[in-house]
Amino acid sequence: MDKKLDKLIAAHEADIHAAPAHVVQQWHSAIDEAAALERGRVPAPAPRWHPTSFFWGMAVTAALAIGIGIGFFVTDGNGPPAGSQGPMVASTTPQSEIVPAAFTRGLQVHLRDSRQQIASLDQGADRTTLVLQLIEQNRMFETAADQNNAPKLARVLRAFEPILLQLAATDIAPEDAEALRAQLAFELNVMLTKLASESSDDSQTT
Amino acid sequence: MNTLAKLLVIAAGLTLSATSMAQSEAPDDAEELKLAALEALITAPPERALPLVNKVLAGDSSIDVKERALFILSQIEAPEAQATLLRFAREEEGELQAEAIRMLGIGGDKEALATLGEIYQAGDHEVRDAILEAYLIAGDKQAVFEIAANADNEDDFEEAVDMLGAMGARDELRELRSRAGMSDNLINAYAISGDLDTLRELALDDSNIELQAQAIEAMGIVGGDQVNTTLVEIYQGATSDEIREAALDGLLISGHDAGVLELYRASENSAEKKELLERLVMMGSDDVWTIIDSALE
Repeated sequence: MDKKLDKLIAAHEADIHAAPAHVVQQWHSAIDEAAALERGRVPAPAPRWHPTSFFWGMAVTAALAIGIGIGFFVTDGNGPPAGSQGPMVASTTPQSEIVPAAFTRGLQVHLRDSRQQIASLDQGADRTTLVLQLIEQNRMFETAADQNNAPKLARVLRAFEPILLQLAATDIAPEDAEALRAQLAFELNVMLTKLASESSDDSQTT
Repeated sequence: MNTLAKLLVIAAGLTLSATSMAQSEAPDDAEELKLAALEALITAPPERALPLVNKVLAGDSSIDVKERALFILSQIEAPEAQATLLRFAREEEGELQAEAIRMLGIGGDKEALATLGEIYQAGDHEVRDAILEAYLIAGDKQAVFEIAANADNEDDFEEAVDMLGAMGARDELRELRSRAGMSDNLINAYAISGDLDTLRELALDDSNIELQAQAIEAMGIVGGDQVNTTLVEIYQGATSDEIREAALDGLLISGHDAGVLELYRASENSAEKKELLERLVMMGSDDVWTIIDSALE
């Protein structure tokens, strides 16, 4: 089992931004939902998801980030692949008006989910798998931040990854894992407070 | 609560925690209070937050608390904050220095990143690692390329090349090939950065059979249908055991058990079949039991 996990960690370390096909499919589904919501053609679904839910956190935030026209697809970072026809829902809407707020809300969900997941991490194989999922999500938001003209946020998210990778290691001592968790918890809290504060400032000025 | 009131509470938190420590209260509680106060500083205006963060950094707080203070500093939009981080990156040692370097990566300031290049030259192994990580965070491929291109020892070169691979810096890695020649790490970095074109070119170049074999094997890391087809073709056309073995390793890494199965069925050599069967078992192929069944008949 440890060998499998080590291979998984190595694969994550080697991987840049490739996402599995089923994840891409989930994003696309989320985009479609966001597209419908943006157009106001269907009512918003009942909030059946729990805030800690990884999948919904990812789907909703991806929808927010992608569905409003950032043109983010899982490619080599050079834009959408030729011939791709992903939904570009609100591409006519000026980015400066909508994207930052929507992206920020999505990022807040991601950071909150990450904080809760990290707080409830146990030792063992499940922890490693969970942290690797966190890394996957974090990479997605990092790319989305770059696409949303938020390079500072992208850098902060990128800075989480080396810590997460250390936390994913199967041979990490419990006290070291605890120290890393404490560091991440603090940095996630700070970013959440900062984002909330900036959102509040924006809403007060508009 | 207005900003001034918030700041008073924060300042009190930072001060009271020290007092609590002196009164033999549990150190963890005092530290928790200090961390909470630091966290709250993120909402304060820079001119108010900076003196308080600097006070923590100059005081006798634990390394953990000072590291958190450095993170707060990285989020403060003020030249003074950047200057303090640079000072810590230059003058401190150990964890605090490494954390300050990481924060400069988060800041992404071009001048600060350039200064890290100077610190790299004088730094030990830990400092150099921290700087490479800071460049990764900042997405500064060119800085890592310069380190690799100017490395005067193999370790530094390899670590920089590994980092370029992780950053997906294909152009920089190709440039290094022409400058520094070929190496094992460079081939791995091509694989990690997903540069299949370069790997295929190396895989077909038989001027150095060791590097050729390594490139063939590394293609398995990139994976995908195109790679799988090429690896099967390389195996079938191989004129040496080394190349055949490398292609098989590549297929194992990419997990293309269907290709290995195809080779197994096409083979008429029992030694080769045995080796291919062993690989299929290692790969956990669903068809392996059928093959074993027929092999035992």
